[in-house]
Amino acid sequence: MANTNKMIFAMVAGILYVVFGILKMLEGFGIETGLAELLLIPGDFFGGFCFVVIGAVFLYAVKELTAGVHMGVSYIYVGILMSLVFMAVYLLVMGSDILMFYVVKSEDYEGWRIIDSMRPGIYLGILSLIGYFFWKDRFTTEMTKA
Amino acid sequence: MEKKKITIALAGNPNVGKTTLFNAITGARQHVGNWPGVTVEKKTGKRTYKDTEIEVVDLPGTYSLTAYSIDEVVARDYVVEEKPDVVVQIVDATNLERNLYLTTQLMELGSRVVIALNMWDLAESRGDKIDTRKMEDFLEIPVVKTVANRAEGIDALLEEVVREADKGEHHEHEVSYGDDIEKKIIELEEIVGKDSALSGKYPVRWLSVKLLDGDENILEKIEGSSVGTQVNSVLSTIEKEDYEAAMAEKRYEAINTVLPQVCVKCVKEVTFSDMIDRAVTNKYLGIPIFLAMMWAAFEVTFTVATPLMEFVDMFFGWLAGVVADSITNPVLGSLLGDGIVGGVGAVMIFLPNILLLFLMISLLEDSGYMARAAFVMDKLMYKIGLNGRSFIPLLMGFGCNVPAIMATRTIEDERDRLVTILVNPFISCGARLPVYLMLAGAFFGRQAGSVIFGIYILGIIVAILSAKLIRGTVVKGKPSPFIMELPPYRLPTAKASAIHMWEKGSIYLKKAGTIILVGVVFVWLLSAIPAPGVDAAFASEEILGTEDSMIGVLGHVMEPLVSPLGFDWKVAVALVFGFIAKEIVIGSMGVLYGTGEDEDALAEILTAGAMSPLTALGLMVFTLLYVPCIACVGVVKKETGSWKWTLFMMVYGTTLAWIAAFLIYRIGTAIGWGV
Repeated sequence: MANTNKMIFAMVAGILYVVFGILKMLEGFGIETGLAELLLIPGDFFGGFCFVVIGAVFLYAVKELTAGVHMGVSYIYVGILMSLVFMAVYLLVMGSDILMFYVVKSEDYEGWRIIDSMRPGIYLGILSLIGYFFWKDRFTTEMTKA
Repeated sequence: MEKKKITIALAGNPNVGKTTLFNAITGARQHVGNWPGVTVEKKTGKRTYKDTEIEVVDLPGTYSLTAYSIDEVVARDYVVEEKPDVVVQIVDATNLERNLYLTTQLMELGSRVVIALNMWDLAESRGDKIDTRKMEDFLEIPVVKTVANRAEGIDALLEEVVREADKGEHHEHEVSYGDDIEKKIIELEEIVGKDSALSGKYPVRWLSVKLLDGDENILEKIEGSSVGTQVNSVLSTIEKEDYEAAMAEKRYEAINTVLPQVCVKCVKEVTFSDMIDRAVTNKYLGIPIFLAMMWAAFEVTFTVATPLMEFVDMFFGWLAGVVADSITNPVLGSLLGDGIVGGVGAVMIFLPNILLLFLMISLLEDSGYMARAAFVMDKLMYKIGLNGRSFIPLLMGFGCNVPAIMATRTIEDERDRLVTILVNPFISCGARLPVYLMLAGAFFGRQAGSVIFGIYILGIIVAILSAKLIRGTVVKGKPSPFIMELPPYRLPTAKASAIHMWEKGSIYLKKAGTIILVGVVFVWLLSAIPAPGVDAAFASEEILGTEDSMIGVLGHVMEPLVSPLGFDWKVAVALVFGFIAKEIVIGSMGVLYGTGEDEDALAEILTAGAMSPLTALGLMVFTLLYVPCIACVGVVKKETGSWKWTLFMMVYGTTLAWIAAFLIYRIGTAIGWGV
C-alpha cells in the first residue's frame, strides 16, 4: 500500500516534469505552445532538459516498483531532492530579481511583478516538498524492512 | 615418521587482518620474497601443526578475482596455477556482504576454502549474531571464528585446514547466473573444453565465466589458444559491460539470500547514501543527472550574481568619477581612469560570478557528489581512452587549468596522464567566464545562462573527442583501470564551502591586482602611443584606442588572420592579450572601445553594430578553444617535460578554435542566423 501511494506520486510527478520540460524546450526553440503564459513557462532549452531528467528519475521509480524492486523508492527520493534543488535555484533567481527591482532599480526591470519570476520549478517543487515531509524518514526504514 | 606437507594460501579483502593472522600462524619465521615479474610482495612462512608441516603464503589483498589490478592478477594466478591445498579466506565479520563476494569467486574457482571469520568479537559487540553452523551449511565451507590480533582461534583454524586438505572428494560450487547468461556459459564451456591445454589447467566453467566477465588476463590467454576465434565470435554477440554488471549482481543476490539466514542484524540498513547512489550512478540516468546538476550550478552563477555585479559596477563607476574629478593631468587621468580603473574594473565586475561558480563547485565537492560524477563518467572516460581518475583533474579545470594540470600527478599511467594534460585546457576555466558573461549577456538576454552552459558543454565534448583522437593516433594504448571508494554524502557546511570558495576565488583577485593590472596598463600604453606617421600627442583623446595608435597597427597586422571569422582588429588585439590572462580579453575590449569598466556601455557598442550574435558566439567558442594563458602553457611544459607536447597543445587548440569559429560564422551567415 505504501509503495502504491509512492508509485502514484512518482507517476504524477514524473509526467508533470516531463511535460513541462518538453514545453520549456519547445518554447526555447521558439515554437509557440500557447501554454507559456498560462503556466508561466519560459523558453529555455537546457532548463527544459533538466525537467525531463527529473521526470525520468521519477518514472524510473515507477518502472522499478512495478517490477517489484523495493529499492526503486530510491529514485523517488532522488527525484524529490533534485526538484527541491531546482526549486531553490528558481527561488534564488526570484530573490535576485527582487534585488534588481527594489535595490538596483534597473531599467530592465521596469514594470516587473513577482509573478514574472514565478517558474514551474517553484510550484512543481511544492509537490515534492509535500512528498519529502510526508516520507522523509520512512524511505530508509521501509526499504531496510523490505 | 615423515611429516605430511601442505601449502595454504591466505586470501582476503584489504584490511581484514590478513597479515595479523599470517603472523599469528607463522610466528617470527616468515620471510619476504618477490614474485617473479611483478612488484607486489608475497610473504611465506612455515608452521608445524601436529604431524603436518604447513607452508603459509600470504596473498595480496583483493576485492575480487577478476584481473582488474596487478594485486588481483597475482592473487588469482597463485590460486589457479600453484594450486595450494587449501585457501584460507579471511573474512571481516563486520562486513560480511562485501567479503563474501570474494568467497563466491574462490568457490567458482573450485578451490578448497576455509573461512577464518575474523573480528567476530567486534561484530558481536555491535549486536550482530553470526551463526557459523548455518553459514557452513549454506556455503558448504568450514567456518572458524578468529580474532587474529589476540591469536584466538588459530589452532581451530589449522585443525580445520588440515582436515579440509585431507578430504577426498571436493564439491564444486556454482553461482546461478540466470538463463541467458547460463546459455552463454554452456556455449563457451563446449568451445573452451576442446583446448586441452586450457581445460587441463583451469576449470572450464570458471574460464567461461571469466570470459563473460571481460577478464583481460583470461581473454589474452584465449587469444593465443586454438579456440580463440570461436570464443571471440561468441563474445561478439554480447554487451560485455551489461554481462559484467549482471553477473556481479547475481553474485550479490546469492550472498543476500544467504546473509539474512546466517546472521541476525548483519543485513546492512539502507541509508540515504545508498538510495542516492542507486539513482545518481544509474547506467542511463547518471550522466543526465550530472548535466542537470551542472546546469543548476551555472544558472545560479549567472543569474543570482546579476545584482551583485551591479553593485561592483556602481563601485567602479564611482571610482572612475573620483579619478576624473580629482586628477587634472590628462595623461595620468587617462592611465588611471581608462587604463587601470577601466581595465581592472571590467574584469572585477565578474568577481561575483567567479565566487558563485566556485561556491557551487565547492558545494558539489563537499557533498560527496563529485566522486559519484567521476564514477559515472568512468565508463565514458574509458571509452574515449582515459582513466576515470582523469575526470577529477578535468573537473578541476572549471576552476583553473593550472592546478588541474598539476592534479594529474595522481594518474599513475604516463600516457593517461599526458592525454589528460593535453585536453585539460579545453575545460573552460573561470578566467574565460567574464568573456562569455559579457557577450552572452549582451547578445542572448534571458538565454545567456543556457548559452554559457552550452559553451561549457562544448568544452567537455571537444576535450572528450580530442582525447579519443590523441589516444587513437599520437598516444596509442589502452587506459589503465580505475577503482575509487565513494565517500558517504555529507551536508556541506557553510564555513567549509565558503573557505573553499575563497581559496579558489582569491586567485582571481590576486590576478586582477598583478598580471591583469600589468596587462591592461600595457594595452593602454600601446593604445596611447601614436602610430608612426600620426601627428598626435601621447594619450591624446583622438588616438586613444583607435587605429591611429600603436595598438591599431598591431591590430591591423593581426586582422587578416581573424577577419574570416568575422572579427575586427580590436578583437584580434584582445585575443592576443588574452594569452597573458584570459580576463584581459574583456579588459582590453573595455580600453579599446573606450568604455572602461562600464560593461553596459561596452555591450551597447557591441550590439549597436560592432558585433553580431553570430560573431559573439564565434568569439566565445574561440576564447574557449584557443591557446590557454601563459601560466597554463608554463605548467603544461613543466608537467610534460616536453616543448614538443606543449607546442602541440598550443597549435592544436588554436587551429581547432579557428576552424570552429570559422564554421560558426560561415554556416550562420549562409543560413541567415544571428547575422
